Order: sequence, then C-alpha cells, then structure tokens
Amino acid sequence: MGIVSAEKLIYEYQRHDENGDPIGAKRAIDEVDLDIEKGQFIAILGHNGSGKSTMAKHINALLVPTEGTVLVCGMDTKNEELLFDIRKSAGMVFQNPDNQIIATVVEDDVAFGPENLGVPREEMIKRVEESLRSVGMYDRRKDSPNKLSGGQKQRIAVAGIMAMKPECIILDEPTAMLDPTGRKEVLDTVQRLNREEGITVILITHYMSEVTKADRVIVMERGRIAMQGTPREIFSRLDELAELGLDAPQATILAHKLREGGIPLPKGILSAEEFVEAYRALPEAYRVTDPYERLPKEVETSVTKLSEDEAPLIEIADVSYTYSPNTAYEKQAVKNVSLQIRKGEFVCLIGHTGSGKSTLIQLLNGLEKPTGGKVLFKGEDINGEQYDRRLLRSRVGLVFQYPEHQLFESTILRDVCFGPKNQKLSEEEQLLRAKEALRLTHVDEELWNDSPMELSGGQKRRVAIAGVLAMRPEVLILDEPTAGLDPKGRDEILAEIKRIHEEAGITVVLVSHSMEDVARYADWVHVMDKGSLLYAGKPSVVFTHVEELERIGLGAPQVTYIMRELFPQASAPKSEFITVSEVYRALSLKGDF
Amino acid sequence: MLREITIGQYYPSASLIHRLDPRVKLVGTMVYLVSLFLFDTFYGFIAAIAFIGGIVFLSKVPVRYILRGLKPILFLLCFTVLFNFFLTPGDILVKFWIFKITKEGLYRGAFVGLRLILLIFGSSILTFTTTPMQLTDGLESLMKPLKWVKVPVHDIAMMMSIALRFIPILLEETDKIMKAQQARGADFESGGIFTRAKAMIPIFVPLLISAFRRAFDLAMAMEARCYNGGAGRTKLHPLQFHMRDYLAFAYLFVYLALIIVLRRWI
Repeated sequence: MGIVSAEKLIYEYQRHDENGDPIGAKRAIDEVDLDIEKGQFIAILGHNGSGKSTMAKHINALLVPTEGTVLVCGMDTKNEELLFDIRKSAGMVFQNPDNQIIATVVEDDVAFGPENLGVPREEMIKRVEESLRSVGMYDRRKDSPNKLSGGQKQRIAVAGIMAMKPECIILDEPTAMLDPTGRKEVLDTVQRLNREEGITVILITHYMSEVTKADRVIVMERGRIAMQGTPREIFSRLDELAELGLDAPQATILAHKLREGGIPLPKGILSAEEFVEAYRALPEAYRVTDPYERLPKEVETSVTKLSEDEAPLIEIADVSYTYSPNTAYEKQAVKNVSLQIRKGEFVCLIGHTGSGKSTLIQLLNGLEKPTGGKVLFKGEDINGEQYDRRLLRSRVGLVFQYPEHQLFESTILRDVCFGPKNQKLSEEEQLLRAKEALRLTHVDEELWNDSPMELSGGQKRRVAIAGVLAMRPEVLILDEPTAGLDPKGRDEILAEIKRIHEEAGITVVLVSHSMEDVARYADWVHVMDKGSLLYAGKPSVVFTHVEELERIGLGAPQVTYIMRELFPQASAPKSEFITVSEVYRALSLKGDF
Repeated sequence: MLREITIGQYYPSASLIHRLDPRVKLVGTMVYLVSLFLFDTFYGFIAAIAFIGGIVFLSKVPVRYILRGLKPILFLLCFTVLFNFFLTPGDILVKFWIFKITKEGLYRGAFVGLRLILLIFGSSILTFTTTPMQLTDGLESLMKPLKWVKVPVHDIAMMMSIALRFIPILLEETDKIMKAQQARGADFESGGIFTRAKAMIPIFVPLLISAFRRAFDLAMAMEARCYNGGAGRTKLHPLQFHMRDYLAFAYLFVYLALIIVLRRWI
C-alpha cells in the first residue's frame, strides 16, 4: 500500500433550497479507488466540476469521505485525533496566490505552519531557511508578499508547506492564475522537490504541457476516474481526451494527425523534441525537405497590404503613461507607443506581465489619461475637453480580467442591462440589447432570471462579456478572457469571440498569454516589452523573431519550434509556420497550402 | 488613486531602533505622545525635539520620508497655526487691516504647529521601524493581561495582522472594480448625494462577494496548515528583551523625568 490510498471513496454535497432545507445530495466523488506510491509525481486532470479538487481536499483531510476510506501514510482521515498529523504529512497548495499567504513578511508566512505545530524556535529557523532555499526564494525572505509576482507567491506557498516537513504535497491548480513565466517557475520548483527531495507530488491542473513529466496521469470525469496511465498512454488516446473536454500538446496532436494521414510516426509523442527525433527517424520517402520554400508569397507581402486601408478606427500616437508621477512610487508603464487599429481587425496584444499592456488598453477607452501623446478614436482626440468619454466607453467596450468579479445584480438580465441603463436608453431598448447580447454569448435563455452568482465559471464570464456587448460597442477589448478557465471553457470563449467578431462585425483587441491562441485567431499582433512596442505585424511574421520573443518572457507556438528545429537551413525566414493545420499540410505531402 | 495609499509604511533597515522590541516602541510612543501635552515651554520643546531627534538619527529613516507623512495634514497644520497667530489676544506686534498678530499668538501658533509635527514624527517613526507583524505581536503581548477577563487576545492579534495583509489587496481590487463598472458606463461623479451613494452599489456588492471569497479561501489555507488558534503555538520571532531594550527604557525614563522636572519647577 502506498503513501496515499483511497478505497471506494464517495463524497456527497448536501444541497439546500432557499430556506436552507436539504433537498438531496449531489455526488461529487463516486466510488474512487486510488493508490499513490511514495516519491511519485502524479497529475490529476479533468475539466471544472469533474471532482478533482474535491478529491485533493480529501487527501488533506479538509473533507472527509461520506463513504469509503482515505488513508494518508496509513492514517485514516476520519480519525480526528490524527488531523494535524495528516495535514502535516500531506500539505496543500491552493489556486489563488493571494488568498493563502497569511503573514505580511515572507519568512513569517513560511513559519506559519511550524508555528502552529509548536516546532521549537531553533528548529523552526532552520526549516524556514531550508524551505525558502529549496524554492529559490531565500533572498526575498524579508519582503512583503505584495511585492512578489504570482509565481513567486506560489513558491512561497510551497515553501510554507515544505517547512512542515511533509511526505507529500498536493497542488490544486497552482498555476491557473499565473502567466507562462510564473507557471514554469512553479512547475520547475515542484519537479525539483520531487526529484531531489523525494517528495510525493500530486498536481491538479488544466494545462496538458504540465503533466507530460508526471509518472502517472489520472483523468477524472463526473467524480470517477475516467483514464489512468503514463502520460504516453494517456496522450495516445486523443479522441477520448477530446470527449472529456481536455486537449493535448500541439506536438501530440500534430503527430496524431500525420499518423492518420499515413505517415508512420510512433504513438504518444509528448514534446517538440520527441516529435523532431521521431520525424528525423522516418524513412526518407515520408520526409519533406524544404517546406519554407513553399510558404505562399502573399503571406510575406501582406504585411504592407493591411496597413494601406482606410483611416484607422483607433490610433495612438507617441503615447506614454506614468503612474504616480513625482512620487517615490513613480513608474513609467507605457513609453512612446504608436499604433493603429483598423475597423474589422482581430488584433492581439501580447507581452510579459508588467509590460504595460493592461495600462495600454485602459488608455484606449479613456479610463486612464496618457501623460504624453494622443489617443484618437475615429480621428478625434478622446482626451479633448469637449469629448464625451462616457459615450466613448460604450463605443470601445472593455472586458477586464476575471470580468465575472464585477457582476452585482440579482438576475443575469438585470446585470447585463447595467451598461444600456447607463447609456440612458428606454427600458424596452435596455432589455432588447441585453437579450441580444446574451444570445450572442450563448447564455441559456432559461437562466436569464437566475442569479449570476450560481453559474459556473465559464458561464459567469459569458454573462460579464454580454454586459459589455449590450452597449453595442464597435470595438471589444478583452484582457485575457480565458484566464483560469479549463481547456473546454477556453476554447468555447475564444470561439465565441471569433464568432462575435465575424457575425457582428466588431473589431476585437485581445490581450493574451497564449501564443497558440494568438497564432490561431489574430490578424495582427502587437508585442509589448517594458512599456514599449517591440513588434507589430501578422502573427506569422512576428513569430519569426522567436529568440527575441523568448528573451522577453514570451515564445512561439510549439509547432513553430518543431519546424525551426526540423528545417534549420531555412535561416531567417520571412514568415513562420504557426498553426497545427499549416504544419500538417506542409508535412503531409498533400500539395498546396 | 487608491493604490497610492500606503498603510503601515515600513522603511526596511537594520538600525538599532528597528531591532528594538516592539513592546518598547509601543510603550515609548505612547509615553512620548502623552508627554507632548505635559509642557508648554520652550525648554520642554527642546527636550522633546532632542529626544525624537536622537531616535530619528538612530533609526536611519531619511527625514524627508517622515516629512512626507506631514503632507496629508498640511492644511490642518497651516490652519491651526494661522488661527492661533491671528486670534490669540495679547500684546500686539503687527497690525494690518483687520488682522493683528500678538506675541502670545506667535508663541501659541509655533507651539501648536511644533506639537503637531512632533506627534507625526513620533507615530511615523513607530510604523517606519516596526513591521505590522511586529506591531501586532507587540500589542498581543501587551494586551496579555486582558486574557484574564476572557478577551480573545490572540484572535484579535491574528485578525489585525490579516487585515493589514489584505488592506492593500482590497484597495487594489476596489480600484479594478470601479474601472470595470466605469467601462460599462457607470458614473460616480455626478448627481446628488443619494444618487452617488446608489452608484456605489455596483462597487460594494462585488467587493463584498470578493472579500467573503478571500476569507473563505484563507480560512481553508490556514486550516490546511494546521492552524488551531493560539494554544501550543511557538513563534519564529518570539519577543525577548535584550540589553538594547533596557537601554531604551532608560532613555525613555530619563526623558520622562526631564519633562516632569521641567513641568514642575521650570
């Protein structure tokens, strides 16, 4: 028997009606058997509501089984006397980096666990130092957590658990709220602890790229274990994964497609490196020699074509923005940026956290006023004295990150009416527009009179987006609309935005961290770095600067790396392969692009 | 903007004052603040300035940092000083139009102004040299006797330190929600007091929901790290008096004695 084991585990939530009377139970975990051996790295996958977080809370005795048993290091979690021994042996890291740090100084927070356990001071000092060193945060021990990045905060949370000397760490979607750099930091830390210190790791995640290095992957669905095996085994069953609402790394999907197309690549390829190796090992007849030659010429020249069109819808000229000028907290967030957004475009804005992209979008609808330069909407200066900026905000709709956090009304419909109401429209017109927006975002009509608080994460987000769309904006700006959603929710929201863009003819500005999404949806990309505009162009052209993009904490889609690795002779190409289907066509020998 | 507000602004350094036990600093600050109202003479101010000046010097906190703390009360300061200048009856020094400055007014104005500045210096040197965590530790320890009358001292201290941690986060969040509602056309600036109060609902409701969510998350995180109230806890930084703390008490005692002597006999 391993370090963590569950036998016929069942967990039921009691549900209550409005008066607090029980109306039956909802089964969140349904007869799960589990056995995890010491020192393993286990990944638990599953979309939202699949029961994976509930599962995790059982290992930490935050929840106790309704039926069945959970044993942690041989201790039954139902035994209340062993509660602290269990929590000490199996520590838990949560999703939100801010909501799990208790103290106002890093080292005090790491000491919180040992303090609760009554560890003697000399021992505690040693433990705090050791665990901070093991996550690479010892230099920041005296800092306030508020000064740290999301990734650093999560590493502090890991250190806080390590200081309790656990056998096992459970991480419940620790990277869901982080940017790619932060995700990598946390993952590298956890992997090192697993490898070097022999800590058993149970990682719950949505990100498929994070599970490829696990010893074993468990896929959950409706409270049951749907699939189980090594990453290679799991990722060779792509169709089943898709059915469960999960995705796979691009390399895996590409190899799968090519194999179906008759190219004998092995099953279950997990990474770009593995793909490259497998492709090189193919018989020559299956290999393409120079796909870059065959990239159509128009892709290369269209850079100039797009900018010759009519007058831009939004133009910003030499814009700068400084926070708290002339104080100790002075910080220049945007530096002399000039760019244009044309009607009908799907524009992506990418950049590392703190690159100034969030500030930039707030300048576009007049929420912040530039400290230098001009912002023009349809040729008019939006910061002019006579300009109606409230009217502008209904023309240039802005959806903030985690927009569901701004919902406040008692029903969905009333919440979506908030924008039109502020536009001083008649009540019929408000309702008309709200309903139109809710239909556009595919919010089920039956729910319209329900409270927005009871919806799932993805649904709430759609309601929030509808709240902006109801003002009938000409431009829709979205700040990371997919943050924190599971793969299915992610794809659905993006598809929705794409459809709104096409059907309603709305110009879209999308702030994103996902290079794959940018490659797939954008007509035009703006790359920000340290407040300046570094590149602007078609995605296929911008992604030719892979090294530079990596230097600023970004990167390129996985398939781009594959193609560059496979065909290094195509030095400095004018445009890049950026989507799976492009690469599939290029490698499948099936003629034209 | 809201994010510019800093609460418990700490100036990191390893000076002697920073290393003092927070209990010494809390008691010291209290004694000092009270002492400022015990005298009304020139010599008294010399003593107080010398006392706080020595502490500021030892703390290595730049004086301009402390002066910046005066900014929010600048208006109040000027107002009280001028008020005293012009409205104190006594020997007239200068007179123009309806204003007259008296000798007594000059003294009182200067004293009141100086007293306010010294108050700010005293309290800000406490927050500049003591982390919020140490402050709450100190308060917890000083309030310990209240345990006998069933005051949950540990819980109060824990609540205070959590509040200190989350105030900046919630301020930032308020800023974000305000902007998000503004992006939906909300107007917080026009209309009468009732309209404006009503316009705050779209900010307060989401803020409240978020605060509850955070509280719930935090409680779970604390439970997961074996938090079980104050019983049986040890501390990474237990409060312990060192030689320097006794010296500080001596310094404080000398100052207090001097003030009393000045008040009584001079």
